[in-house]
Amino acid sequence: MPSETAIRRYRALYSLLLRLYPRRFRERFAAPMAQTFHDLCRERIATNRSLLSLALWAFIETSGGVFMENIMHGAQMPKTMLRVALGALAAVMVPLVASRLIPDWNWPPQAFVVVYFLFFALGMAYALIARRMGTWSYKAAVGLALAASFALGWGNMVHVADSGNPANLWYYSVLVVGIIGAAIARLRARGLAITLFAMAATLALIALCVPTGAPPELARNMTIGNIAGVVIFTACGLLFRHASQVGANPNEILPPA
Amino acid sequence: MAAKTAAPTPLTPAVLHILLALSTGERHGYAIMKQVEADSQGKVRMGPGTLYGSINRMAQAGLVRESGKTDDERRIYYKLTGAGRAALDAELTRYRGVVAVAEGRFAYAE
Repeated sequence: MPSETAIRRYRALYSLLLRLYPRRFRERFAAPMAQTFHDLCRERIATNRSLLSLALWAFIETSGGVFMENIMHGAQMPKTMLRVALGALAAVMVPLVASRLIPDWNWPPQAFVVVYFLFFALGMAYALIARRMGTWSYKAAVGLALAASFALGWGNMVHVADSGNPANLWYYSVLVVGIIGAAIARLRARGLAITLFAMAATLALIALCVPTGAPPELARNMTIGNIAGVVIFTACGLLFRHASQVGANPNEILPPA
Repeated sequence: MAAKTAAPTPLTPAVLHILLALSTGERHGYAIMKQVEADSQGKVRMGPGTLYGSINRMAQAGLVRESGKTDDERRIYYKLTGAGRAALDAELTRYRGVVAVAEGRFAYAE
C-alpha cells in the first residue's frame, strides 16, 4: 500500500532525527516518539491530508526538542559552548583587525556578526561530532573536513558574487554530497571515509566539467583551489579510513559525554 | 516515587495541558496529544518533541510516571502521581483566584 510505504519512509527519517537526542533521553523516549509520529501519520492518511506538511512540522518541532534536550542534558555542553563562543570571538578578530588595516576591506558590522555565528556553528559542529570517537585521526579528519567545507562554501559564495557566473553554484553540490553522506553514515568513520572520497570526486568532476567563465588569472587560482580541495577531501577520507581501522569497533560511536 | 524537585509554579502551558489530559486516566503519547487538542478545542497542537520533553521533566519532578500498562510494547502509558494531582489542583486554584480578581476588576470598571 503506497501510503504505508510513505509512512515507513518518513518514520525512518524521523528515527534518524531522534538519534540526535542525548543518549539517556533517546533510550527512554525514542521508541514511543517514533510510534507517536507513526500514529500521527496514520491519522493524516485516514483523513486524506498531506503527509509532507505533517512531516515538516514534526521535524521542525522535534528539532527544537533535540536542541533543548542537548542543551539541558549535556553537562559538558555549557562549558563547551563557552569555549567555542570564545574561540569564535578570537577567530572573528582576524577579519575585524584586517578590515582596519586593509583599505578595500569594507564589511558592514552585520557581516562580522554573521561571520561570528558561522564560526560558532562550525566550532559547535566540530565539538559535537569529534567527541563521537576517541581516535586522533577521526578528530583530525572532522576538523579538516569542516574547515575545508567552510572554505569551499565561503570561497564559492564570494566567487559567485564577483564573477556573476551561476554555473559555479554547482560547487555547492560538494557540500550537499557531504551532508547527505554524513547523515547516511550516521557519522561513523567508515561511512564518512566513503563520503569524503565522494566529495573529492564530485569536486574534481565539477572542476573538469563546469566552465568557470573567469579571466585567466582567476581561472588559474580556481584550479589551484580545486586541486587543494580534492587533496584535502581525499586526505580526510584517508584519515577517516584510518580511524575506522584502528578503532576496536570500526563502527563505534561513543555516547555523548 | 518521591518528587526529586518541586513542581514549578506557575506551570508551563504544556505541563498544565498534559496534567489535565492525564487527570481522567492513564494515556500514551499520541492519546495525550489528542486529549490536549480536544481539551483546548484544537487551539493547542503539541508535537512529539514538546510532549516527550515535558513528560521527561515532569517525570523527573515526580508529577507523572509510567503506568506499567503493556497492551502494546511500542507505547508507554503515563499516569499522574499524587504530586502531579496536587500540582494540578494548586494550579487550578491559582487560576480561579486570578480569574476572580480579573472578573472583580472588570465588573468594577463597567
